[in-house]
Amino acid sequence: MRTVSIFSSLCLICLILFTSCTKEQTPAPRPMTRVQVLSVPFSTRGSHTFFSFKDSTTVTVADSASAKWDFAIRFARIIVNSQASGPGNAGVMMQDGIFSNITSAPLTGYSYDTTSTRLAIQDGSWYDYNPRTHSFIPKAGKVFIFRTANGVNYAKMQLLAVDYAPFTGPVPSTLLYKFEYTYQPGNGNSFQ
Amino acid sequence: MKNYSKLLISKVIFLGSISVVAQQQQLKDTLMGSGDPVVVTATRTVGKYSQLSLPVTVINAQEIKRTGLLRLQDILQEQTGVAITNAPLGNSLNGYPNPFGQGIQLMGLDPAYTLFLLDGEPLVGRNAGILNTGRIATGNIRQVEIVKGPSSSLYGSEAMAGVINVITQQPESPSLDVQLFRSSPEIYSSSLSYGTRFKKSSLQLFGHQYWSGGYDLDPHLLGKTQDPFRILAGSSKWVYNPSSRSQITMSLRLNNQVQNNRYQVQLSSSPEFVAGKAIDNDFTAFLQYRVLLGEKSKLFFRSFLNKYSNESWVNKETNNALFDAIHFRQQFFKQELEFQVPFKNGSKLLALAGWSADRVFASRYSEQPPLSTFFICLQQEWKLFHDRLSFNAGGRVDKRSDYAARVSPRIALSWQPDARWKVTASAGGGFKAPDFRHMFLNFSNAQIGYSLIGASALSDELIQLQQNGLLQTGASIVPFLQKNPLKPEYGVGWHLRVRHVIKKGSFAVGIFNNRINQLIDLYTLPFARSNGLPIYSYRNAGDIFSRGAEVEAQLTVYGNFSVNLGYQYLLAKDIGVLESIDAQKLYRRDPETFTTTLLTRAQYVGLPNRSRHMGQLKLLYEDSNAGRFAYIRFIYRSAFGWADINGNNVIDDHREMAEGFLLVNLSAAQQINRWLSLQGNVENLLNYTNPKYAPHLPGRQVSLSLFFQLKNTLSK
Repeated sequence: MRTVSIFSSLCLICLILFTSCTKEQTPAPRPMTRVQVLSVPFSTRGSHTFFSFKDSTTVTVADSASAKWDFAIRFARIIVNSQASGPGNAGVMMQDGIFSNITSAPLTGYSYDTTSTRLAIQDGSWYDYNPRTHSFIPKAGKVFIFRTANGVNYAKMQLLAVDYAPFTGPVPSTLLYKFEYTYQPGNGNSFQ
Repeated sequence: MKNYSKLLISKVIFLGSISVVAQQQQLKDTLMGSGDPVVVTATRTVGKYSQLSLPVTVINAQEIKRTGLLRLQDILQEQTGVAITNAPLGNSLNGYPNPFGQGIQLMGLDPAYTLFLLDGEPLVGRNAGILNTGRIATGNIRQVEIVKGPSSSLYGSEAMAGVINVITQQPESPSLDVQLFRSSPEIYSSSLSYGTRFKKSSLQLFGHQYWSGGYDLDPHLLGKTQDPFRILAGSSKWVYNPSSRSQITMSLRLNNQVQNNRYQVQLSSSPEFVAGKAIDNDFTAFLQYRVLLGEKSKLFFRSFLNKYSNESWVNKETNNALFDAIHFRQQFFKQELEFQVPFKNGSKLLALAGWSADRVFASRYSEQPPLSTFFICLQQEWKLFHDRLSFNAGGRVDKRSDYAARVSPRIALSWQPDARWKVTASAGGGFKAPDFRHMFLNFSNAQIGYSLIGASALSDELIQLQQNGLLQTGASIVPFLQKNPLKPEYGVGWHLRVRHVIKKGSFAVGIFNNRINQLIDLYTLPFARSNGLPIYSYRNAGDIFSRGAEVEAQLTVYGNFSVNLGYQYLLAKDIGVLESIDAQKLYRRDPETFTTTLLTRAQYVGLPNRSRHMGQLKLLYEDSNAGRFAYIRFIYRSAFGWADINGNNVIDDHREMAEGFLLVNLSAAQQINRWLSLQGNVENLLNYTNPKYAPHLPGRQVSLSLFFQLKNTLSK
């Protein structure tokens, strides 16, 4: 009986060890999908608002010269952390389609901010400005696919809305960018 | 009323400076005017309404007076297929007043495609494409004629949707008319019309004054929706007959409007009020010499000048320093020669040739040379089978200095198997030359910083921007250095209509189809200013169609009671959008759930600002013997597209539409004595207002008009 119990305990320990070992050996992190709102000053001057897919949060201006951020917005201008815009290795492309139907990121074909005026994301390519309502409406069915600043991970992102934060007087102070994204934290380019 | 109809019968009527003898038969007044009015706009020659082969709506002086309405756009709005649209430029973020006002939409086509004529001559001064119809006083209108369908074959540019011709009183027998008007909210208006006759000449004088205290539809916004304004207008027409075979007509018209503007602006630190004036001046001079050649052929020589200006400025209220000033001045001069040959069987030939010069001086516009246009026009009208069949064919060639000649043809056919039935069909082509705004606008938004540059001014401006380092580095401007890149927009349209006349009324059904090609639209240049902000210009892009059906009926129920009904069903769509839908390139994103799906044809509603259903119902009780009437009009407009909210820049969701509305207008009058009648009016009885979608509707307005009319008696 004793040997049996020792044996079974060993087996149990082994089993626990084995299973936990398996877990550590195949870390299959799932892509995460989130909807977030980014507050951007209503101004064409000043600094950008930087965002990191990995941390799901804004990055301080102090860290703008690092690879900690993936894209940044100032007014209606979107830059990606590459070449003229930052030290990162990010790239972006725009695809037409329905967000959920895009299951993987292409491995090549990304654009970069080659100069401060030749940006990967061209102004006016992703929104319609309506002079009647003064709204910037992101075009439906436009999906940005990012290679993130570390040059390894991928994310897909679509803008859902650009609203004005409540304001008094004739000029708004803050633009609220609402966007949805799926970030693949692991290896590979799949969003599933 | 009785005097009036008698007068109509026997006197000589001058129409569009062409004199005709009115029909000698007894004209019975029906709801919408005298039995068979004389119309000139559709064919440029005098013809009876019943004989026309083109769709025309006629509003006569009596109808205008009966409505109690003083603004032309309100009168037009009560007609089938006519809508008032607000300028697409819209208001600034928090209620900066819209300086361009409203336009008239005909058969679902943009206001820019309807030509406005006053006594047959064009009105100029389209500030941002919109004509201020407030310039036209309604107190001396004899008749308004609305011709639907492309009419460039007679009138040249702009007449793609149709023509609205406002014909004012002609010097006839001596008369004196005075109208006083007072309404709440406060409007005071008065007008005086005086006609007299000398041996060989006659004179018509008209003076008009209008004062409006404005109105405010949204008290949360500082400043009024409509600022107070006043209008002073005067005109004179003089007709001289040196002999029985020749006639000289001279007319002068002046309209002066001053609006007191006051609104809030956001300066760098705090909001502040600015105040100032907008002054609108409109002057026209017209001279015509008409001579009979042979038995009935007529030769006309006409000279016409129109000077329009709009100047506005605002000062800061705190220190009286100038905040903003803009001006827009346009001069238009035209000379033409016209030849009309009537044949014995009723057929007619018309030949016209002329020249015009047009020039704009305006802030926000680059300097530019005057544009000159040469035109020639021919039209033949055949009457066959004892007037049962009438066939009209014509065309016009316009050659403006900056683009190739345009040919605009039109044919129209009318068949009357008997006195009760009439079938008409017409088809034509029209065009609209690129206007000054499309070519020469040069505007930079100081607050946000983008630039909007007219197509013809673009090359010079880009070169200059690049030299001054204001353009993004490496911008390739070479493809944008064409001198006159814009081509005219052109359209084709057809109209088919069946009219049935019964003893106590008439009934008509029609269908129409219009297509406009190479529409001029805004686009973004592929490079930006050095500050990263976009540059916009105009180019020919896109085709649209508007098609629909209309129904009109009028019926005298009992002797004194009559009903008039009008309805238009409309589909107006962008052909490029339909192609994108078919190619599965257009998506929509639900603004609440944010789900994106492909757009379908069924979801696509059409061009903004068009109502699918529009109609009006008018009920009139009139007792001419007792000199009184009561008149009620219901005007309905169904929901219309306003602005995209779901990310595809087209209207495809009910949340992108302005609600439909119903207006009820009432009026009633009593003749006090032979000369005097008193009329009460309630405009917009249901008090429908919508500061966002319909800022031109001031809410319920109660008014009183007093008419003093002295006719015939003067000659005695």
